[in-house]
Amino acid sequence: MIGLLKGMATTMKHALDGSTFTVEYPDDPPEVSPRFRGVHKFSQERCIWCRQCENVCPNDTIQIVMDEQRNGEQYNLHIGQCIYCRLCEEVCPVDAILLTQNFEFTADTKDEFAYNKEQLKNVPWYKDIDPLASREPDRGAWIGDGEGEVDYQ
Amino acid sequence: MSLEAPEPSTHTDVGVTETGLDYDVLESLLGELVIDRETHHNAEAFVVRPDRVADALSVLREEAGFDHCSCVTAQQYEDRYESIYHLKKYDDPTQEVGVVVPTSIHEPKSQSGSGVYRTADWHEREAYDLVGIEYDDHPDLRRILLPETWQGHPLSQNYDQERQQVVPLTEHANPLEEDHRGGTDTMFINIGPHHPATHGVLHLKTTLNGEQVADVESDIGYLHRCEEQICQQGTYRHQIMPYPDRWDYISAGLLNEWAYARAAEDLADIDVPEYAQIIRTMSAELCRIASHLLALGTFAIDVYGDFSAIFMYAFRDREVVQNILEDLTGQRMMFNYFRLGGVAWDLPEPREKFFEKTRDFLDELPTRLEEYHNLVSGNEVLQLRCVDTGILEPEVAKQYGCTGPVARGSGVDYDLRRDDPYGYYDRLDWDVVTEDGCDNYSRVLVRLREVEESAKIIDQCVNLLEEWPEDDRTIQSNVPRTLKPDPDTEIYRAVEGAKGELGIYIRSDGTDTPARFKIRSPCFSNLQALPEMAEGEYVPDLVAALGSLDIVLGEVDR
Amino acid sequence: MSIADTLGSALGLGSLGPLEDFLLSLVGAAFVGTFVLLNTAVAGPWAKRKITAAFTDRVAVNRVGPFGLLIIIADAVRMLSKELIIPDGADRPAFDLAPLVLVASALLGFAVVPMGNGIQLADPEVGLAFLFAVASIASIALVMAGYASNNKYSMLGGLRAVAQNVAYEIPLVVTAMSVVLFTGTLQTSQIVGAQAETLITIAGVSIPSWYAFVNPFAFVLFIVANMAEVGRNPFDVPEAPTEIVAGYQTEYSSVYFVLMYLGEFIHIFLGGAILATVFLGGPAGPVLPGFVWFTIKIWAFFLFTQWARSALPRVRIDQLIEIGWKGLLELSFVNLLLTAIIVGVIV
Repeated sequence: MIGLLKGMATTMKHALDGSTFTVEYPDDPPEVSPRFRGVHKFSQERCIWCRQCENVCPNDTIQIVMDEQRNGEQYNLHIGQCIYCRLCEEVCPVDAILLTQNFEFTADTKDEFAYNKEQLKNVPWYKDIDPLASREPDRGAWIGDGEGEVDYQ
Repeated sequence: MSLEAPEPSTHTDVGVTETGLDYDVLESLLGELVIDRETHHNAEAFVVRPDRVADALSVLREEAGFDHCSCVTAQQYEDRYESIYHLKKYDDPTQEVGVVVPTSIHEPKSQSGSGVYRTADWHEREAYDLVGIEYDDHPDLRRILLPETWQGHPLSQNYDQERQQVVPLTEHANPLEEDHRGGTDTMFINIGPHHPATHGVLHLKTTLNGEQVADVESDIGYLHRCEEQICQQGTYRHQIMPYPDRWDYISAGLLNEWAYARAAEDLADIDVPEYAQIIRTMSAELCRIASHLLALGTFAIDVYGDFSAIFMYAFRDREVVQNILEDLTGQRMMFNYFRLGGVAWDLPEPREKFFEKTRDFLDELPTRLEEYHNLVSGNEVLQLRCVDTGILEPEVAKQYGCTGPVARGSGVDYDLRRDDPYGYYDRLDWDVVTEDGCDNYSRVLVRLREVEESAKIIDQCVNLLEEWPEDDRTIQSNVPRTLKPDPDTEIYRAVEGAKGELGIYIRSDGTDTPARFKIRSPCFSNLQALPEMAEGEYVPDLVAALGSLDIVLGEVDR
Repeated sequence: MSIADTLGSALGLGSLGPLEDFLLSLVGAAFVGTFVLLNTAVAGPWAKRKITAAFTDRVAVNRVGPFGLLIIIADAVRMLSKELIIPDGADRPAFDLAPLVLVASALLGFAVVPMGNGIQLADPEVGLAFLFAVASIASIALVMAGYASNNKYSMLGGLRAVAQNVAYEIPLVVTAMSVVLFTGTLQTSQIVGAQAETLITIAGVSIPSWYAFVNPFAFVLFIVANMAEVGRNPFDVPEAPTEIVAGYQTEYSSVYFVLMYLGEFIHIFLGGAILATVFLGGPAGPVLPGFVWFTIKIWAFFLFTQWARSALPRVRIDQLIEIGWKGLLELSFVNLLLTAIIVGVIV
């Protein structure tokens, strides 16, 4: 009987202390860690069309179309198919593709999730925070010291 | 031959020397059964004729003490089919041996090992299903992951992926038909694939005698996602690592990643910096806590009913762990944090904040665990329900290749973190938890106590990381961007996942993708033991036993 | 005093003729029924969620209306607008009748419960016997539902329900009989009346002779048996969602499901009403009017069932039956015997 009463006392304590763990999401957007991997942002200005992201992508989410002079024409990324592994960001030598912290994306059909480069460029930062600075520490291994400001617009 | 009972085998140390196994002694023990020898990266393997498999296995089991058949890998070469039995000892899993059984390409038939190791039953069914090797005198050679109507064997080389699988309606059983399997007084009932207690899409074909379980058969494969094939198409260096997170997807991701990382690092001979090993150890143990908490919560739901107090408390604590992991890895469940030769990221800056957050969690944990003990393990009604139900005797557990908390709840002292050390575990102070109850209650208790041990490990790791010199924080060793291990090297390596021994077999063929990638899922073997635990018990105990097995269908079906 | 008399005097009518008596009784019945249904409407979609949330550190329904109260209406609309699916091979009349019988049996029980302020529909001499009789009709409804659904889970649930009800009905009634030994009557109003006397006075506070205080052992027995009777944790085996999906109500949808759900809640409240009447002095209580006290008491029992759900695992069906036949039954007879001796010798 003691065990039963202990259990009941425990739940009653939880009921009475009034504390909740719920995040009241749409009213109160959660804190997201700077490393969080959300929807991609792409900068055509920075991209050198090396196709490394396309090659490394584990499930062919990125599709790049180039003309005969190897100039980039299209950069398509299906954000509904993506598994958010961040390998594209990791291999990118020029920070042209970056995973924002933005996890809010909806659409009526799956097709609408196939973003082209314009749509990828216009993906907003979550809470207007550019996470690149806080992710910086490890990037030296891949890109060395970057030159100047990173401009995605 | 005398008619007296044979003396208990004392030959469990055949060929054991101080420097490791002496395979020549084993070979002479097997005698003329061995027709060839292969060297795998983890152990020597003996090639055996397809019609002498059971003999070879039983010699190794009875006379050399290899009581753990951890995995059966099947694969097709250009000129032959091959099944590999990966054998180990529960007492010392570093003593390994492989048994390779080649069969002809035209008539892939070999003898079944399921008479020697019960666990081989399902493994061979899987081999038959996916690769197409037929096992003679296998008790029940049917497809296991794919539907019974499937045409062809997807991992065999002549499989036509373009061909449509057409299943006419007549192939399906009529669900409304009268069904009294095993006598007229019984009732056949489908528990799952959509049932509140099956934790996913598991289907238990259950025959009830009154309320008692007369027979239960698991029907798995509803969540088969071709994970092995996906990995066979990905490059070693980058593309495989995101997928282990999706095998055991309930927050055990890093433990799974470590399984792949360990196998591939050993295969390609990659060093991991010590600093990275500590980060790996810490984050993996965080995952284990999260995973065990979830197991506890869902078990509570199974036994308590739909009122979710304990489930929610467990989820709340798991949420804290996930927040820490999110800070560290960037994702809450699908981490993709390990890399071959290290980890992707150093600890997040500011480091003090991260340490503080982790410490806060660890400080809070004893109070939380006290609560769980009050709610779960100390509860008399729960003891009434769970003590002495779902019995899994240690010998039976070994026969079925059970590992992890399931085996340790049966008193089998087997934990790869200690027995086959990797990472930083052997330099930390912690204990392997075992319980001798062999019942549902012990299995739950083992998990609760393992959370404490994991907390101990994390605490030590945090201390180490805090004091680590700033100029020695190498998180990744130098690994070439394209990794091409030598052709025809084979390796089987396992780590202690959240549910048990999670092993990976890789065979390389000189390209940058594996030629065969086989996952030894602990849940797959553990689930196989369910009938042993549930038959003769009541339906509620079947549900409790299933809950205490803590299976994840993503890992069972892969 | 019946409810017709209460209403008559409230309206200033003199002595009542048979027709007036009949009409006023109908009005009274409508009032009592509405009151009970109102309670279940608050309890089912709203209070239960709020209580569960409090126990599990969550925020529950808070989006619709003040405190989320309009969820009651929203839920009603949602449930009623769903498609009513009758499974193939269901035994039609029985399948349709079961929800009605379940609700009706529970509602009928309230007819003889004194709710304070003269609200009592009828006061027959066998009030308590009637109360238990109609309450146990519910188990027939559960078996009907389980058997008629043509579903194996429902069938198991129905059989479990009847096994449980049989096992716990007897201790329930026998325990109640120990109270009847004190009062010497089955009439509910007199049982309540007998509890109005003062038991002892401590520091100027007089404690009434509620049978919960007079015989706490019987009180505990009665609560346990009552919980099993209304099928709440740890005795919710007939439903047992994680074992047999939803037991007897697996196949019920839409309006039928609402009725089943409603019936269960009315049953909890009826269990609370019986408990209040027999052990807690019915509508008696200080300061507040009797009717309010009665409401508080039935809600207290409801809260208690929810609390028990939060921390008690469900027992297994065989353990349940064992506890019923081997434990509670014996204890209730011992209790009856001891009470009889005490009443016969001392009082």
